[in-house]
Amino acid sequence: MSYYLLLSALLFAIGLYGVLSRRTAILIFMSIELMLNAANLAFVTFARNSGNLEGQAMALVVIALAAAEVAVGLGIIVAVFRARSSTSVDDLAELRG
Amino acid sequence: MLLLLILLLPLLGFVFLGFFGRQLREPLPGVIASALTGLSFLLVVAAVLSGGASWEIKDWLPGIPFSLVLDHLSGYMGLVVTGIGFLIHVYAIGYMHGDEGFSRFFAYLNFFIAMMMTLVLAGSYPVMFIGWEGVGLASFLLIGFWYTEKVNADSARKAFITNRIGDLGFLLGMALLYSLFGTLSIGELREAMESSTVLPLALGTAGLLLFVGAVGKSAQVPLMVWLPDAMAGPTPVSALIHAATMVTAGVYLIARSSFLYANLQDVSYVIAVIGLVTAAYGALSALGQWDIKKIVAYSTISQLGYMFLAVGVGAYWIALFHVMTHAFYKALLFMASGSVIHALGGEQDVRKMGGLKKYLPRTHLHGLAGALSLAGFPLLAGFWSKDAIITATLTYPFGGTGFYIAGLAVAFLTAVYAMRWYALVFLGEYRGSGKPHESPPVMTLPNDVLAVGAIFAGFLALPEPLWNFIEPYLAPALAHVETHHMSLGVEWGLIALSAVVALVGLYLGYLAFNRWTLPAWYRTFQSWSANAFYVDRVYNALIVNPLKELAFIFALFDSFLDTAFVALAGLSAWLGERLARVQAGYVRVYGALMVLGLVAVLVWGVLR
Repeated sequence: MSYYLLLSALLFAIGLYGVLSRRTAILIFMSIELMLNAANLAFVTFARNSGNLEGQAMALVVIALAAAEVAVGLGIIVAVFRARSSTSVDDLAELRG
Repeated sequence: MLLLLILLLPLLGFVFLGFFGRQLREPLPGVIASALTGLSFLLVVAAVLSGGASWEIKDWLPGIPFSLVLDHLSGYMGLVVTGIGFLIHVYAIGYMHGDEGFSRFFAYLNFFIAMMMTLVLAGSYPVMFIGWEGVGLASFLLIGFWYTEKVNADSARKAFITNRIGDLGFLLGMALLYSLFGTLSIGELREAMESSTVLPLALGTAGLLLFVGAVGKSAQVPLMVWLPDAMAGPTPVSALIHAATMVTAGVYLIARSSFLYANLQDVSYVIAVIGLVTAAYGALSALGQWDIKKIVAYSTISQLGYMFLAVGVGAYWIALFHVMTHAFYKALLFMASGSVIHALGGEQDVRKMGGLKKYLPRTHLHGLAGALSLAGFPLLAGFWSKDAIITATLTYPFGGTGFYIAGLAVAFLTAVYAMRWYALVFLGEYRGSGKPHESPPVMTLPNDVLAVGAIFAGFLALPEPLWNFIEPYLAPALAHVETHHMSLGVEWGLIALSAVVALVGLYLGYLAFNRWTLPAWYRTFQSWSANAFYVDRVYNALIVNPLKELAFIFALFDSFLDTAFVALAGLSAWLGERLARVQAGYVRVYGALMVLGLVAVLVWGVLR
């Protein structure tokens, strides 16, 4: 079991690193997906270990949520790209205080 | 309903002229205002002839009805107010000719009549207070009518603020009466007073507080300083508000409350003394004035003092008799002065007048009638009423010989300054420049009527054994006061004495201000008198300036507080600006901060 959890933690860390280091919105987006799936893996691992289905159910909820997120997020990215022909998040700094 | 109409007609004029007066061509606003006041006068006449009326809204305030009562007293006063008011409205059409604020002036005048009638017809003190404040407001607006001059605006504020002191007294007096009797209706109070078990001390305090209100409104010592300055307003205003009607409201208040004062010997004594002091002060100050209107203004203060002397000794009907005769001859004097000012193109200094008898024959007759009536020339209106007051100090219960002698001395001074006014304006050689011209008929005709009143009004109430219409007419509305009768010989002897005093005063005045060169001691007195004995300066030093200093200290403290608050606001604005830097606009920074926060929470959770 600890291997599964280690893998999950590793995936999460990679995702986090991706979110913080990438500038392209698409890549940040993919990193977020990675983190979500790392969480899914942890859920399923704990569910198997404890022998009930709540973790599995939670993983399904997260997948559904991720699908919805992709739909909305990609839509935003496409709109941003159309408006400024770039998806670099550093350019989107108009709300700077 | 009739009573309500008496108030509403002039009020309607005020609203109408206030909104639409500017669109009307010149004489029209004056005609409308005069017609409404005249109509109001006719309604009062009708109501008086029908024997009286009353009208009320129950539960206007919880437990206090809004009541109007026209009995003999308020009917009598109402006739004076609307009657004289009508004449002065007509006169003002001529006097205000060509003024920019023509319609505004008449709107204010109508407002004044409405408020004065509220005061007069009030059946309870709160209603009277509405009128009381309303006439104060009208007075303020009209003194400052030519508000672009700072002096006028200052005078208006002075009048308003000085009156405020008196109004506080009225208000406190009302509150005390309410807490003692649980009602403020004058009729109910009168009944309650008869079976009263209330402490005389409490009653006396209430009476004294109401009297403070009267002192303010009627310009008695020590609150008399506003009235001479009130002459900054147009002359019809001086005639209507500051001579004939509003300033007599104090006398009316005391007479209305006579059931209260008739039982209060100490308070009545105070009233009489203050009245006498005021009469003397007014007369002495009138002697030295150089402004044609201020002479008349100080004489008004003096005559009001006589009225308070009368109510103080318990002679309520005589005070009201004097209110009426005074309204006639003082309005006449003011409007004759107005005619003179009008003729000389705004000149008010009597040193630049003189000899106007030749140029203004009609106005000269008016001035003569007014001055002689004021001086107490035998058989004129002022003679009968003033003599009645002076005699009353001997026959009425709260009087005394001291009052009699002092009253007679002031009557002598009155004759002197009345003659001085007449001599400086109309006799001798013309000392000004320019050609005076007589006023138009719209100004002289009302004065004719007033002159008839100033000469003959005294015959309404003659001493015994002749006829007297006013005393029996007013008796039901006033408290009954026991008088001790003098023998007819003594009575008529005293009347002859006061006639002689008036004649000697007139003759001395004639000699002094037309012939003699005046001695040095008189010149000293003159300069004191011209400055009204420096009362204004004393008040400024003792009250006004310390208050100004106090206000300055408060203002300092206030500006300190202001600065502190502004600094506080500046601090948070500065902090906000610093914090805003955090919002760099980089998603990665937000993300990193989020992660840091998460890590912090985790670490805290694990270590705990």
